[in-house]
Amino acid sequence: MNNLSEEVKQLIIETLDLEDIEPADIDYEDALFIDGLGLDSIDALELGVAIKKAYDVKIDNNSDDSKKHFYSVKTLCEFIAESRT
Amino acid sequence: MDFSIKQCVAWGGGLTTTQDWQSYAQGELSLSDSQELPALKQIPAMQRRRLSPFAKLALHCALSAADECLMSVPSVFASRHGDLAKTSKLISDVAAKEDLSPTQFGLSVHNAVGGLFSIYTGNKAPLTAVSAGEDTFFTAIIDALCKLSANEYSQVLVVFTETLVPEIYQQYIAQDEVAIACALLLEPAGKGDEVYTLALQAKQESDKDKVQTENQRMQVLDFLNFYYSSSKEVNVNSKRHSWQLSRAAS
Repeated sequence: MNNLSEEVKQLIIETLDLEDIEPADIDYEDALFIDGLGLDSIDALELGVAIKKAYDVKIDNNSDDSKKHFYSVKTLCEFIAESRT
Repeated sequence: MDFSIKQCVAWGGGLTTTQDWQSYAQGELSLSDSQELPALKQIPAMQRRRLSPFAKLALHCALSAADECLMSVPSVFASRHGDLAKTSKLISDVAAKEDLSPTQFGLSVHNAVGGLFSIYTGNKAPLTAVSAGEDTFFTAIIDALCKLSANEYSQVLVVFTETLVPEIYQQYIAQDEVAIACALLLEPAGKGDEVYTLALQAKQESDKDKVQTENQRMQVLDFLNFYYSSSKEVNVNSKRHSWQLSRAAS
């Protein structure tokens, strides 16, 4: 799980061109969007495509489940781990 | 139609200040292959991260030239090729059946930079995006003059931007390229201003045979060279048109 979370943080930084942000700056449980890291809806789409590509998981656009999965690094990691098995 | 040029801001080929361009017009400085980009520190990092080199050049010039009227000025954004680096990457992804990046897709359309300008400044005035081959720069001015005249605007912002065409399309390029943006704030001619006049003649079929090739130099450079010189008039020929830009004291 730990390696995966580092991977996901790195993926977020690279995919979204987050200048001056290190993996350590992204909290494992904090919100990624709006309040927390400050990502927006375009980032959500971009991240969806990147995660689909990297982990070959299926993401249902706009479902309430997707919103839960994309809440934080923690929820994303759980979602990826679940979908892979 | 007569007009005056209230502001002129250009960045490209290593020349970044008014002084640089004055030296360029006097033949003391020439263009380099410098890819230096404006820092655009006024745009928050979270917004700035999505700006391509093309967008950075355009926004720097637009924001500087329209500093006094950012919220209200109507604008014309012009580019011959647009943000082609972005577009050709997307086309490659389509060919390779890869998923497209939503961000890149959204920012690759011809009016994307105008949109970014509008979002950043909150400016909701009419905005057009122009592309007109090698005549793009002067055509953008014509569009702005039409807007000034027809809508009785007090000012119109013209933003011209070009970056280097990607390798894969280089075989189609006849012009000497430079990554450059130039923004002009135009107003109807007023008292005390230098009065500019732009005249255009379409070439006759018989003339077209004589000039088969495009002008080697980008029109924006012909303009800047004239604007910062003491000349009263410049004639620029393209494949299809003859342009004459002149100025006189009012």
